Amino acid sequence: MDMDAFFASVEQLDDPALRGRCLVVGGSHRGVVAAASYEARKYGIHSAMPIFQARLKCPHLVIVAPRRRRYAELSGRIMDILRTFSPLVEPISIDEAYVDISGCQRLHGTAHETGLAVKTRIREQTGLTSSVGIAPNKFLAKIASDFNKPDGLTIVTPEQMPLFIETLAIEKVPGVGAQTRQRLTGMGIQTLGQILQWPEQQLVRKLGKFGYRLMALAQGRDNTPVVCESEAKSVSSETTLEQDTADHAVLAVCLLAQSETVARQLRAQHLRARTITLKLKTTDFVQHTRSHSWPQPIQSSDTIYQATLRLLTAFALTQPIRLIGVGAGNLIPENMPVQQALFADEQVRHRQQWEQLDRALDAISERYGRGSVVRGTLAETGRNDKKQ
Amino acid sequence: MKFTIKKGDLVDVLSKVQGLTGRRSSLAITECIRMHASDRQVHLTATDLETCFEGSLDASVEMPGTIAISARKLYEIAREFPSSDILIDETENRWINISDQKVHYHLMGMNTEDFPETPTFEEVALFELPSADLKKMIEKSIMISGVGEDKKPHINGVLFERLTDQEPRRVRMVSTDGSRLSKYDLFCPDEAQVPAGPSVLIPKKGLHEVSKFIGGSGTVRVGIQESYFIIKNDADTLAIRMLEGQYPQYGEIIFREDGHAIRMEKEPFHNMLKRMSILCTDSYRAAIFTFDDGVLAINATNPDIGESREDMIIDYSGEKIEAAFNPKFFMEALNGVEDEFLVLNIVSDKKPCLIDGSEDKSYVSALMPMRV
Repeated sequence: MDMDAFFASVEQLDDPALRGRCLVVGGSHRGVVAAASYEARKYGIHSAMPIFQARLKCPHLVIVAPRRRRYAELSGRIMDILRTFSPLVEPISIDEAYVDISGCQRLHGTAHETGLAVKTRIREQTGLTSSVGIAPNKFLAKIASDFNKPDGLTIVTPEQMPLFIETLAIEKVPGVGAQTRQRLTGMGIQTLGQILQWPEQQLVRKLGKFGYRLMALAQGRDNTPVVCESEAKSVSSETTLEQDTADHAVLAVCLLAQSETVARQLRAQHLRARTITLKLKTTDFVQHTRSHSWPQPIQSSDTIYQATLRLLTAFALTQPIRLIGVGAGNLIPENMPVQQALFADEQVRHRQQWEQLDRALDAISERYGRGSVVRGTLAETGRNDKKQ
Repeated sequence: MKFTIKKGDLVDVLSKVQGLTGRRSSLAITECIRMHASDRQVHLTATDLETCFEGSLDASVEMPGTIAISARKLYEIAREFPSSDILIDETENRWINISDQKVHYHLMGMNTEDFPETPTFEEVALFELPSADLKKMIEKSIMISGVGEDKKPHINGVLFERLTDQEPRRVRMVSTDGSRLSKYDLFCPDEAQVPAGPSVLIPKKGLHEVSKFIGGSGTVRVGIQESYFIIKNDADTLAIRMLEGQYPQYGEIIFREDGHAIRMEKEPFHNMLKRMSILCTDSYRAAIFTFDDGVLAINATNPDIGESREDMIIDYSGEKIEAAFNPKFFMEALNGVEDEFLVLNIVSDKKPCLIDGSEDKSYVSALMPMRV
């Protein structure tokens, strides 16, 4: 399931004056288009396009600032609707999800009937349109959901699969980017079906491990299961900065906000983490990660912040940073038995006190809304989007 | 430089230093062994910058000099060498030949001037200890080691104490990983002149090398000079740079009056722990011990696998105590006990449980419960 021009559609839904108009959501973030309405797409405007360029293409373009909280709220409702069809729902982004409906025929009818029911229920309950693709595996379902957009419903039955693959443009296949596509064009491959004309070994020699994957996909084999989100393996928060920076102080403020987000997610899911990872992407798009592990699992935002800050300080900032993020891994449920220490440890006591403070803040936020109490550092920069 | 050396002697020494030279340090040359030939001997030096080995071997030296050569490669070559005599000579520009009549190796050495300075000890006040006993003490102590990135000196190091005012006089090692602790006393023979001195912290990494270095018989001489812990046998010396730091007050943990002392046969208890640890995994390590009137029940529940339970008759008549432990830690503590019977001392689920032998009190382990 893939929502149609999600952010733009939400804006048009909430403000009738915007309906039928060329609209993009974006602006605040690096000045690029986050989503474009179908009216705007007719002018060749698409996501990730710089705003100024979009303006050139369509002078009467309306630009709306994103309201992420509203999108998240609707996304949550849509995911809940999907879960009424099957417990196996895997959200892949705010507006896309895989749903495993195998074995649900007696409940929901044929694939076609199920697909229609999903679309109808989403439209009735949110007022938004979606596109659905139904296929024997995940990768074809994703491609099918992209067909006949907006308000599309595309079904690829096992019998239709070989023909569908034979004519499927190779650039539609997930994982085929500009480079791979160029290489494949060089080999005379335009559609996924043409992959089958090549021996697997040769594909692997030219494309590396991805060659195996492409061959499998060309044969219609994709066994990746639909995984529900409940089994979190890691919790993370990352931000692409508005401007690349090597300013330690600016980055530290980001880390503080992200550490709080990660710690809040850990607490919400009753988890503790044994490993914290700092992720940095430099201006040249190279990604760097640095990790720290504890013998005992941790949870407090301050512990996470102090650890990531140490990792950041140890990292030689020779280039400006484009993206910064904090991740927590090695997650252990809170109620898991924990080895006690022989000696009273000042650090451990300190950590426990911070955890207590975090919990008190959670309680305040729950009662008076998030942002009712924030750290001084974050309040100053207004980073908590508490305007709402 | 040119000398001929016995294969057996060389292999013997090289096997002892592999742990040191194999450890990565900030200097590339520490993977080399330095060989200095003079008179009728070759002096050997290896270091990882914390622990330093020095030894000498008899050799027939044709021309004195010094080389530094990869200890790993030299060991592999010497071990497989077909004849019992190995000729080592340096030609020019640090090229080293290792040969006999038929086999010939031509290896690039490193600049001996880059080799780090090693401590020299002339007048160390050493005292003798039986090798086998010291080896046993070290092995029991380094069994408990820290996990992860813990850099605290009291976890990375073993506390070494000389208790000269106690009767009989003894040396003691205390080791902890933060949640368990062991104490081992080695009673010194009457003829050993153990001088009094401060308690020191010796890194467990270095002690690991010591346990390989000392043999199973005879005696070794031990001493402390400046910041080094020194162990000498006839031909070789090992010097470990000690750690600086505070050691926690361990006395109040292992010497206590309260608690219930329960005498148990070691073997059946160990077998029970083994059975109850089968369902423990890396992510779920706890087993719940319930001490009740005459019975110890152990119950291991792993939400991913299932549960197990076993009862054992014990000599206990206090109130019911429930505490969770990592059975693996418990078994390791038991392994240190040599008596047929052990004494388990438990107070509550908040205080460490103590384990020692029913007769031999030289070794004691303390083990903190888990919080459930």
